[in-house]
Amino acid sequence: MTAVLEARNLTVRYDSSVALSGASLVVSSGRMVGVAGANGAGKSTFINACAGWSRGRARIEGEVLLYGDSVRHLAAHQRSNAGLMHVPEGKNVFGNLTVTENLLLVRKPPTEPGRHYFTHDEVFGLFPRLHERRQHKGSALSGGERQMLAISRALLGAPRVLLLDEPSVGLAPRLVLEMLRQIRRLVDKGLPVLLVEQNVKATLEVVDELYLLERGLIIAQGTAAEMRGDNRIVAAYLGALGSTKTA
Amino acid sequence: MNIPQQLVNGLVLGSGYACVALGWTVLLGAARLVNFAHGQMYMLGAFVCWFMMTRLGLSYPVGILASLLALGLLGVLMQWAMLRLVMVQNLTSMMIVTLGFGYIIQGAGGLAFGGAPQNFPSGLDRMEIRFGDLWFTWQDVLILCVTLVLYVLVWVVLRSTRLGAVIRAVAEDPKLAQLFGISPAAAYIGIFVFEAVMVALAAVLVAPRTPILTSMGFDEVIITFVIVVLGGVGSVPGALVAGLGLGLFTAFFGALVSPAYTTAAAFGLLLVVLVARPRGLASQ
Repeated sequence: MTAVLEARNLTVRYDSSVALSGASLVVSSGRMVGVAGANGAGKSTFINACAGWSRGRARIEGEVLLYGDSVRHLAAHQRSNAGLMHVPEGKNVFGNLTVTENLLLVRKPPTEPGRHYFTHDEVFGLFPRLHERRQHKGSALSGGERQMLAISRALLGAPRVLLLDEPSVGLAPRLVLEMLRQIRRLVDKGLPVLLVEQNVKATLEVVDELYLLERGLIIAQGTAAEMRGDNRIVAAYLGALGSTKTA
Repeated sequence: MNIPQQLVNGLVLGSGYACVALGWTVLLGAARLVNFAHGQMYMLGAFVCWFMMTRLGLSYPVGILASLLALGLLGVLMQWAMLRLVMVQNLTSMMIVTLGFGYIIQGAGGLAFGGAPQNFPSGLDRMEIRFGDLWFTWQDVLILCVTLVLYVLVWVVLRSTRLGAVIRAVAEDPKLAQLFGISPAAAYIGIFVFEAVMVALAAVLVAPRTPILTSMGFDEVIITFVIVVLGGVGSVPGALVAGLGLGLFTAFFGALVSPAYTTAAAFGLLLVVLVARPRGLASQ
């Protein structure tokens, strides 16, 4: 298994406060890796730093490698063009542009090894709802439809690795697992995915490995099976049954 | 009063206003940027062409080309200098910085071309067309046609091409555009150069109608500002309607009341429109 995306010793500061300290992670080919943690643990900071992107003024130290090549000095748009596709949390589609126009923004990707290509038909096949809404503006879409659109444009750009920050935000609870399973099916076809999620229970059902973040530090990591049995995970995230057992 | 003649005057004057305002409309509407050096760039565009023709003896088309090139280059330089301000969308500082650029351009223009009014003959401004009482020049026809064609072109590009989508995307959210593989810095430079070239084109078309002065920039930026705001900040069809409307208003106000108060009256009109429709003419 080759390492597609590797983050080494990432530290992120906003002004004087440290949001992430010395976090490392590997996403190998065909794997789905999750990053979980409470609100403010540094999950979004971590995944944004991998993409070299921030809405605020983040100072990033450390190394990010794509197939072994450093992308540390590449700006966010250059990383995107190199196949490191990031779908951020929150506003991730253009509200003034229609669905079709949002997808039109994606340039035809070059033919390169390690990329996973998707056609418009495949993407609309994945999200038929989006096809029905293609003439609507981004601002007129529901939360779920926006996520579909944001993921679709990332897929059309032929990702080498797909970074998803809380794709379940704004989804009805019954749709969360459905969305995550759909992403899992992409992974099963070979696309490596780094997923940040608050919903640990649902995440553990789809990922191969999980990293646990707490106050900017990785405090645990392992395969999904190992992490399901980890006391800290059970106590904090997997409900009352687990916590009564450990108590 | 000769009403058809005032209509013609108004349309010609208005298409000139609209032509000068097009670059700013795109800059403000599509990219959320401002440029208060616009008027002085207009002045420079006119004087470069004038210099090429009267001092170097070159033809009008060559003068136009030189003017477009010079202003395009100036646009690159200005945008390069302001790039960091632009990237953080600091409009207040950009206002002051572009205003400063404007005064520098005006000073440089004064040094290079002097302070005296100059005639800027294009040739076409002397070729008259008469229909009975009606009178206008080929220059007027050229201004009206070029303005209409440019507005339609810009409208089509913004609405239905990938380039237009990129410009609108960068205007809405430059950070997000990065994740789509778009460089906002490159987009901003492109848009600003377009603005500079458009104002040069407007200058070489409109300026031959009157004597030109190196101090004429400020009036131009004020008129442009009125049109862009009247049209509904950044609306391309709105700016065309506002430009033509303001031209007709100026022509009829000048004929019916007095040409001396047209600027005051134009601002009166702006106030009335903005009180009645706070988001400009283009709002629903």
